[in-house]
Amino acid sequence: MAEERCRLIIDTPRSGALNMALDEILLDAASVGGAATVRFYGWTPATLSLGYFQAHSERDSHSESHPIPLVRRATGGGAIVHDRELTYSIAIPRGHRLAARPRELYDAAHGSLVECLGEMGIEARLCEAASPASEGQEPFLCFQRRAVGDVLCGEHKVGGSAQRRWGDAVLQHGSILVERSPFATVLPGLADLASENIKVADLRDEWTSKLIAALGFVADEAMWSADELQRGQQRVETRYALKAWNLRK
Amino acid sequence: MKPEDLLYATTHEWVHVAADESGGKVATVGISAFAVESLTDLVFIELPEVGRQVKAGESFGEIESVKAVSDVYSPVDGEVIEVNEVLRDDLERLSQDPYEAGWVAKIRMSDEAALAELMDHTAYQKQCADEAH
Repeated sequence: MAEERCRLIIDTPRSGALNMALDEILLDAASVGGAATVRFYGWTPATLSLGYFQAHSERDSHSESHPIPLVRRATGGGAIVHDRELTYSIAIPRGHRLAARPRELYDAAHGSLVECLGEMGIEARLCEAASPASEGQEPFLCFQRRAVGDVLCGEHKVGGSAQRRWGDAVLQHGSILVERSPFATVLPGLADLASENIKVADLRDEWTSKLIAALGFVADEAMWSADELQRGQQRVETRYALKAWNLRK
Repeated sequence: MKPEDLLYATTHEWVHVAADESGGKVATVGISAFAVESLTDLVFIELPEVGRQVKAGESFGEIESVKAVSDVYSPVDGEVIEVNEVLRDDLERLSQDPYEAGWVAKIRMSDEAALAELMDHTAYQKQCADEAH
């Protein structure tokens, strides 16, 4: 069988609006049959992201994150404080087997993360039971919710993901909490739970090959093209920086 | 409605076309059982506004499952004349009865050309089988 290749982008930290815009650029490409892409990135400044259908007014309930900027994601779920974390995205093109199987994409990402953490001496597992509450009553923060397949360390959620499907293509992005953020002090990260000095870059380097293998790809490391960055900036200006988008609910 | 009698879009919407009292064509649109099953645990649906003009292939609604947001695409050209309001409070209907009680919208068709792009049940079954393997 021929090798399936993907682009691997080890990105620099960017603003929330540009991060979400660039993920959407990856989904755009995937929706017209472009390359599968795996991207790792960070956030500067720290940013609160709202789930696509989440009401902006819910933010009032979380004063700790009021000082940081806001962006609305194209994916569902709860709010995330993106600060001392590793963030990843995966874009799978239409026609690829993983595009039709959302569960398998979660399992590949989260299963390989649990394996990676185990090799780093951190005992983690996949959540087997979802939060009992319905969507409308769930906690504001994503990492206080529980869905089947979330990555747990003890009873704490340390990894979660969400998907956006456009036609037959899919974007999955997710966060792994590495260290407690001053903007969400209720959420410990891996370093807090393991009492070890874990760096975001070290976790990324340990996980990358396992994630790529779990997805069944061979990676070609790449960076954004000038055209992609330009289209990303345009998407910031036409969507992710606009109140009409960020405060749409 | 029997799944065998419907037409399907590659994006997993089903269509049933019938004549209304004035002789115009009205398409009832829903989401296939295959798609509903793959989404799992539906939590929210955003329905189109009645009166909206839509083009075939245009996103006219969105559906959220526990972890995924997916667009719902219009398979035909026309005007949305009715939506299944019950789904807003009872998405179980979509999961349990996608071809009857779980219909999403009715569209008065302005043009029938888009129907030629849709699949019959046999072709759609083949697409689903290809995606599942």
